Amino acid sequence: MPRTLLVPPQSRRQFLAGVGGLGLTGLLGAPAWSGTEESVVFPFVNGGRNLVKTFPQKGAMVLQRARPPLLETPFEVFDQGIFTPNDRFYVRWHLANIPTVIDPATFRLKVRGHVKQPISFTLDDLVRKFKPIEIAAVNQCSGNSRGFFAPRVAGGQWANGAMGNALWRGVSLKAVLDRAGVKAGALQVRFNGLDTGILPQTPDFMKSLDVDHSLDGEVMIAYAMNGKPLPLLNGYPLRLVVPGWYATYWVKMLDDIEVLDKPDDNFWMTRAYLIPDTPLADMVPGQQGVKLIPINRMVPRSFFTNVKDQAKFKVGETTTVRGIAFGGDTGVAKVLFSADAGSHWQEARLGSDHGKYSFRRWTVELRHSSAGPQTLMVKALNTAGASQPDGANWNGSGFMRNIVESVSVQSV
Amino acid sequence: MLKEVRFSIAALFCAAILSLVCGVASWSSARADSTSGKKDLASRQWAIVRVALPENDEPFPPGIGADIAGSQCLICHSAGMVLTQPPLKKDEWRAEIMKMRSAYGAPIPDDQVDALSEYLKDINGRQ
Repeated sequence: MPRTLLVPPQSRRQFLAGVGGLGLTGLLGAPAWSGTEESVVFPFVNGGRNLVKTFPQKGAMVLQRARPPLLETPFEVFDQGIFTPNDRFYVRWHLANIPTVIDPATFRLKVRGHVKQPISFTLDDLVRKFKPIEIAAVNQCSGNSRGFFAPRVAGGQWANGAMGNALWRGVSLKAVLDRAGVKAGALQVRFNGLDTGILPQTPDFMKSLDVDHSLDGEVMIAYAMNGKPLPLLNGYPLRLVVPGWYATYWVKMLDDIEVLDKPDDNFWMTRAYLIPDTPLADMVPGQQGVKLIPINRMVPRSFFTNVKDQAKFKVGETTTVRGIAFGGDTGVAKVLFSADAGSHWQEARLGSDHGKYSFRRWTVELRHSSAGPQTLMVKALNTAGASQPDGANWNGSGFMRNIVESVSVQSV
Repeated sequence: MLKEVRFSIAALFCAAILSLVCGVASWSSARADSTSGKKDLASRQWAIVRVALPENDEPFPPGIGADIAGSQCLICHSAGMVLTQPPLKKDEWRAEIMKMRSAYGAPIPDDQVDALSEYLKDINGRQ
């Protein structure tokens, strides 16, 4: 049973005001939180969350929603390595009918639609009959960091932990499509998984990619994650991996691939996951007449992982400040660090390169030469020249946040 | 080749973990042919996975309209989805309700929309 928030939001808000929204763990006394051993308070209104260990194949996760599960990766996990362990990898489901038993003896991946020969594969087929490929890639929810939007927007109220990096192993989508033979005139390829809505009228969750993208050899059908089968909640047995693109396209429990000869008009492509067709999907709250397009490529981000807001340092000492960065849809070119709120920037040292879609470690040595407050900042630049904005981008769905990250610290 | 072997070991390790965590059936054959080789990879990799998702018994906070929220919203999602939202005005909650009806097919009757909006504003609202 998940631990639940039984405190009325009013009292939670008052309590939050009391702690100043520092975003620290372990601040909460038991009386305010029924049955809670551990919790976190994200620095936004209604930011209290329980940490739970009640989900299968998962360690301690931030409970965003019990059903269908939304589980956030506690941020300290990102300090432990650039690959996110499977049992701490965030979880996001749209529809509540999630199969809890997967039997490989009966599971089939079907390829159908505008193809020369509809075909289906067993899991063994995929492993034995195709050349395996591997890619390290960040999977990030379109709405990662939505809770920080100002003004706030409705939706899953994530802090920064709706992302993870894994070494994915599987087969290329191109190789699978080639077995069926994509017919001339094909436009898109639609992906569907085993999950369904409770109500028959709820649109089944399906996502599509253009044919050219589907055949680029990079998009893959993964059967392993960090060297192990995927946790069920991350899509066992198969998950689409779309390197550099937001996770909405990384369909979980993938069992159906349909080649379309017309644009996909299903709800999840035409009415959900839409962004303003502007740089960084940015718009002004209330702005009318903005053209909307399906969300697509990710943008660069970087984070501090070992320094929290309000951290204190001793004058005269030196701290190795570190974090992670990713380039979005291409590699990290450099990571810049500022110790003076962005007036001056220095290049951080980059850790080993696991490919252009992976997290990358960055570090800087920070000497605490004098007493006083300081604002530390970090931003990533990718190899296509894109960087992170100084001010937050905004849109009504809470997508694609990638502002320069900053923490306020003090040397004493 | 080295990669294959490493992966096999990882898969075997995972078999042990999985069987502990979620009562996986039929791993014995997987263990039996653990002498590596590409052919065996699949049989080690693929097991019946059976998990139990936690029961979701989180109720909506008491108040006028809690019964509507309990019978309508909980069809598709837990109460936490509502309680973690930023506080919304009544008309903003109404817009969410209408979206649940039109986009996802929530069977909320017309004559319950106002009462439900009022309730959601009461438990997580702003003026």
